[in-house]
Amino acid sequence: MAHDWQPDFEQLVDAHQSMVFSLALRMTGDRGLAEEIAQDVFLELDRHLGKIESAAHACFWLRRVAMSRSTDALRRQRVRGLHLCVEMEEHHGIKVEERASPLGVRLEQLLATLPEPQRAAMVLRYQEDLTPEEIAATLNAPVATVKSHLQRGLKLLRAKAASNLREYVRQKEYARGV
Amino acid sequence: MDDFEQQLRQVFARRPAPPGLKRRLMENRRSQQSRIHTIPWQRLAAVVVLSAVLSGAAAWHKREEQRKGEAARQQVFIALSITNHALNQMNSQLAAHGRAQK
Repeated sequence: MAHDWQPDFEQLVDAHQSMVFSLALRMTGDRGLAEEIAQDVFLELDRHLGKIESAAHACFWLRRVAMSRSTDALRRQRVRGLHLCVEMEEHHGIKVEERASPLGVRLEQLLATLPEPQRAAMVLRYQEDLTPEEIAATLNAPVATVKSHLQRGLKLLRAKAASNLREYVRQKEYARGV
Repeated sequence: MDDFEQQLRQVFARRPAPPGLKRRLMENRRSQQSRIHTIPWQRLAAVVVLSAVLSGAAAWHKREEQRKGEAARQQVFIALSITNHALNQMNSQLAAHGRAQK
């Protein structure tokens, strides 16, 4: 089908590099790997630029490929017997002042402990603000499955955050007592 | 959306891409594009070299066959001339022997 939209690769990189990098970082937990994935995704976009029909299509395409590349990278790491993810931030060179609060840092770490499908759904929901239907289209999964991942992921994250907060308060009280 | 979800939305905001990501990406893109453009030239050069080698080998093989054929023909000529010489000798001996008997 003919389309009038003329994609500009550099503009697309400017507009979406933060999104692609953040998706890969939250999925893998490794800054170096996330950058590698972001580069791969954009180079693939460059090869498929002729098939992209609109700005919205480019954004959808980038999200989809970024998630699939991140999942592939995690699978490769599992095959090699390495467990990437989970150790976010301080182990990967992000300055502490970039973070808003200690709870924010902890929530990022807790997100990384969620099972991969739940993490994918949560990242797309809360980073990208997508609806379950849009997440389902991005991940190529049934909407019901996505909704279930979101509910379970949120429940698990809430429980972990609550227990983490109790632990934090107990440590503060203990420190004050000492 | 409750407070916890609002907080998640704030915490999970997009991170800025690492500085230099775009520059490295554009460099990679340029090197990939130049690689793509050089491939047809490399293929063409490989085809030319391969065809030159094959036609050279075919010409050498043909010349070698001709040389062997020529050598065989020379050997046949030599063998025939030796035979001819021997037969002539035998013929002259037989003629001499016949004349002696008469």
